[in-house]
Amino acid sequence: MAHVVLKDLVKTYGSFKAVNEVSLTVNDGEFVALVGPSGCGKTTTLNLIAGLIPMTSGDIVIGDRVVNELDPKDRDIAMVFQNYALYPQKSVYMNLAFPLQMRKLRRDEIDRKVREAARVLDMTQLLERKPRELSGGQQQRVALGRALVRDPAVFLMDEPLSNLDAKLRVQMRSEIKRFHQDLKATIVYVTHDQLEAVTMADRMAVMNGGYLQQYDSPAQVFAHPANMFVASFVGSPAMSLIPLEASTANGDTVLTSAEGWTLQLSQLNARKVQRATTKKVVLGARHSTIKLHKSAVHGAIPAKAYTVEPTGDVTFVQAFLSGAIVNISVPPNIAVKPDEQIWLEFDQERIHLFDGETEMALEAN
Amino acid sequence: MSTIAETARRGQARRRASIDGWRWGGRIFLVFMLLYTALPMIWMLITSIKSGFAAMQFPPQWWPDQPTLASYQKLLDPQNSVGQDFLRFFWNSLFVSTATTILSVIVAVPAAYAFSRFTFPGRNFLFFAVLLRNMFPAVIFLVPLFILMRAIGLVNTHGSLILTYLTFGLPLAIWLLKGFYDNIPVQLEQAARIDGATRFQAFILIVMPLSTPGIIATAIYSFIGAWNEYIYAYTFLSKNEQLTLPVGIQRFFSENTTDFPGLMAASFMMSVPVVVLFLVLQRYFVRALTEGAVKH
Repeated sequence: MAHVVLKDLVKTYGSFKAVNEVSLTVNDGEFVALVGPSGCGKTTTLNLIAGLIPMTSGDIVIGDRVVNELDPKDRDIAMVFQNYALYPQKSVYMNLAFPLQMRKLRRDEIDRKVREAARVLDMTQLLERKPRELSGGQQQRVALGRALVRDPAVFLMDEPLSNLDAKLRVQMRSEIKRFHQDLKATIVYVTHDQLEAVTMADRMAVMNGGYLQQYDSPAQVFAHPANMFVASFVGSPAMSLIPLEASTANGDTVLTSAEGWTLQLSQLNARKVQRATTKKVVLGARHSTIKLHKSAVHGAIPAKAYTVEPTGDVTFVQAFLSGAIVNISVPPNIAVKPDEQIWLEFDQERIHLFDGETEMALEAN
Repeated sequence: MSTIAETARRGQARRRASIDGWRWGGRIFLVFMLLYTALPMIWMLITSIKSGFAAMQFPPQWWPDQPTLASYQKLLDPQNSVGQDFLRFFWNSLFVSTATTILSVIVAVPAAYAFSRFTFPGRNFLFFAVLLRNMFPAVIFLVPLFILMRAIGLVNTHGSLILTYLTFGLPLAIWLLKGFYDNIPVQLEQAARIDGATRFQAFILIVMPLSTPGIIATAIYSFIGAWNEYIYAYTFLSKNEQLTLPVGIQRFFSENTTDFPGLMAASFMMSVPVVVLFLVLQRYFVRALTEGAVKH
């Protein structure tokens, strides 16, 4: 196993910058998820690490080698593709053997390793089948087997679960996580599904528009999103972001909505707001931190329920506030009807404040 | 409840009826097409086993009174002058067609792969330039090509035909193969390259076996094109010992009489290689090799 270092990685297509000065370090044995919406540059970044596309500038280090100029075959990596990319004309056995044959291993050694990998992934009985005779989950497992049979320095995975149905995806998710724990493998995992990243990764790199937005543990990213994009991308349902205007009167800092209501801020939050570049401040709150009242309460803001989505465990209520959609979760025993008047109370300790101009999170110090 | 089930059943019955209607229409159409293509061939076969006199009778003998293989014996007899000519023409055609086929595969495979996988300056222009030839009827190029061939001293050589057939067959071969390569997921090659193959190895070991059906289809296409071509062979070649079959078969027409059984026997034998080629290789056309390669 080995660590991976990306330094000022840039990939441009003509004038379009697909990857913009991305720098990050993946530690030995670490599971890192590259996550972001389609077109954010995460797959391009992975392909750059693999050497499948040439980079424009920057450095890639795998282990102790700078691999900028190396062919994919010389980078000591293995990759699992979204569509699995199993060789259709080869049996499962030959699919697993191919990377070993390419490295000119002895026949008996190849046989031993292939059977070992098949045993680990519990597919010994599938070895003689062709890929088209396998189910989606089995194909996915063969793809994983082909990656691990060679004992590479780094595993690269490009949305390996997105072609599976929901139930199988959850199952394979825990299998890959287990696989990582057992092998202490260094894994770079691309996904557009923030839930996959949050549940599986040691650290997640959130990307958008070719830029690395935040690189931290899922807990940190969740608790302290660096900017409005990360705040809205991580977590489901998304964090509600309400555009407001800050003002100070009589030593109190308040946020004022265009709708007329105001929200008084705590000392700590007031200090944060003072660091904003302009008066425009965006209030962020996750669904579980907003309290829903069915009657007027001091400090609570009036709103109208828009939709109500019971899920069994919790009921999600959506409301419009200052032109933004606000998600609130309530226990299922609280009945809310659409268009019902409700009052929302924000938890000063757990709200997020963002600069309305730069969209960056506001911190007190 | 029962009405819902009933409605559903009735709807199903109606759907089945309309499907059956289409199916029968399709079958009748296919039978018609079969007769349309097979009857002339059958008539060719029947005529080829008649005597010269029987072939000219009217009303025709639907089945010859005295079937004879004399025409075939004559054509395949190296002692006979007709047989010598026929075998030589056959050999010439085989040589020209095979050479055309091999060369066109050798050129079309890398060209199509490059058009499919690489981006390079002028790619689109080149790709459509390749098609330019096919926008005009072949006859338009007859005289210019003849002048060109004479200038480079290729008139009366098989080389002139091979070159010409290549320029005719290659555009479509490249287009056909490019379609094949476009359908092979690029991830297969990427996987191979990560698994330790060079780009060339990935092409030879992974892409080539998958594109075999395409290559065979292309090969058959070029072979048949070259095998049947008449007008260029007629123009470029004048020496008897160089003629190809389509031109050579003309020898059966003479000023006063036409040896119809001989002509039909020669035509039949000319169609044999193509039919055999097709029967042997047709399974490659229908084999869906890439099925299961990737999840769509």
